[in-house]
Amino acid sequence: MAFNGLKKAVTLSPCVRTLPSGVPAAPLLNLAARAPADPHDHGHGVAGPRSDSTPRWVGGVSRTASGLASKSYVTLSPTTPLSARFLHTSVAVKDAPQVPDFSHYRANDNDSNRAFSYFMVGTFGLVSASVAKSTVTEFLKTMSASADVLALAKVEIELASIPEGKNVIVKWRGKPVFVRHRTQSEVDEARETKWESLRDPESDEQRVKKPEWLVMLGICTHLGCVPIGESGDFGGWFCPCHGSHYDISGRVRKGPAPLNLEIPAYEFNDAEGKLVIG
Amino acid sequence: MSFSTTLYNTFFRRNSIFVGTVFAGAFAFGIGFDTGATAFFDRWNRGKQWKDIRHKYVEAAEEEE
Repeated sequence: MAFNGLKKAVTLSPCVRTLPSGVPAAPLLNLAARAPADPHDHGHGVAGPRSDSTPRWVGGVSRTASGLASKSYVTLSPTTPLSARFLHTSVAVKDAPQVPDFSHYRANDNDSNRAFSYFMVGTFGLVSASVAKSTVTEFLKTMSASADVLALAKVEIELASIPEGKNVIVKWRGKPVFVRHRTQSEVDEARETKWESLRDPESDEQRVKKPEWLVMLGICTHLGCVPIGESGDFGGWFCPCHGSHYDISGRVRKGPAPLNLEIPAYEFNDAEGKLVIG
Repeated sequence: MSFSTTLYNTFFRRNSIFVGTVFAGAFAFGIGFDTGATAFFDRWNRGKQWKDIRHKYVEAAEEEE
């Protein structure tokens, strides 16, 4: 199979030429040649002329002395809109359309299939609800004060530095806060008062978290002066501006003030002995 | 009665119970997810957070005093 070169010793003339009239001329062409007797048998017998070939009287290609000639002796009339179509390529109609077999794809058990579908729906709803809740809460968190602001807004006081029976005034968010380390007798006095008949009835238990520590905003509820400690008719605070008297629990007892002294949010840090206001 | 039928009759048959179960499950899932994520974060950053190393510095400060 080694072709090192290809040489032609003879050049054959082309076997087809065109006459001046335009008709192709093939002098040695044998139109009667048949295909070899079926070298690959696939069941249609010996090859022959096509069964649908036109008969000789309609016309066809023939050899003449001057070459090949194609002639038609019959002219078919064109089909009219009213004539029937004898040739078409549409799909043949079958009597019983074949329905595919879907049994392979059908669920084996309808109950488990239904339970599984509802389970998936419910799980998706669960995750969606969690995402929605998380989105809303995270958005609302952006509106609240951040941790550094909250840290600055707190004040810590060493409780051990306040002796019993003494007041301490600290500044918290620009306002004074009174911290009173009450003695036991002061606690008893505050608790025994008939608070139900006061102007702003509040029991001492409602106003303090630990009985010995009284924490409240040092702003008179009347017009915002700062009351003076350990004075007044009730052993508590006295506002010098308009003469409001507060008792040892910070409740208004006399004068124009309408409400008791306000209690800020505070908590005790027992581990370090500190009071955290804010 | 199979498990799937019991499941369907218990949770899915009434829509009110279905939706209620979904919301309750979302609540529990949120708590569980937060707890799990926090536990993972603490385990991943073990020894790096203030609450892990606080005892060193707090004790040292008390000794200086």
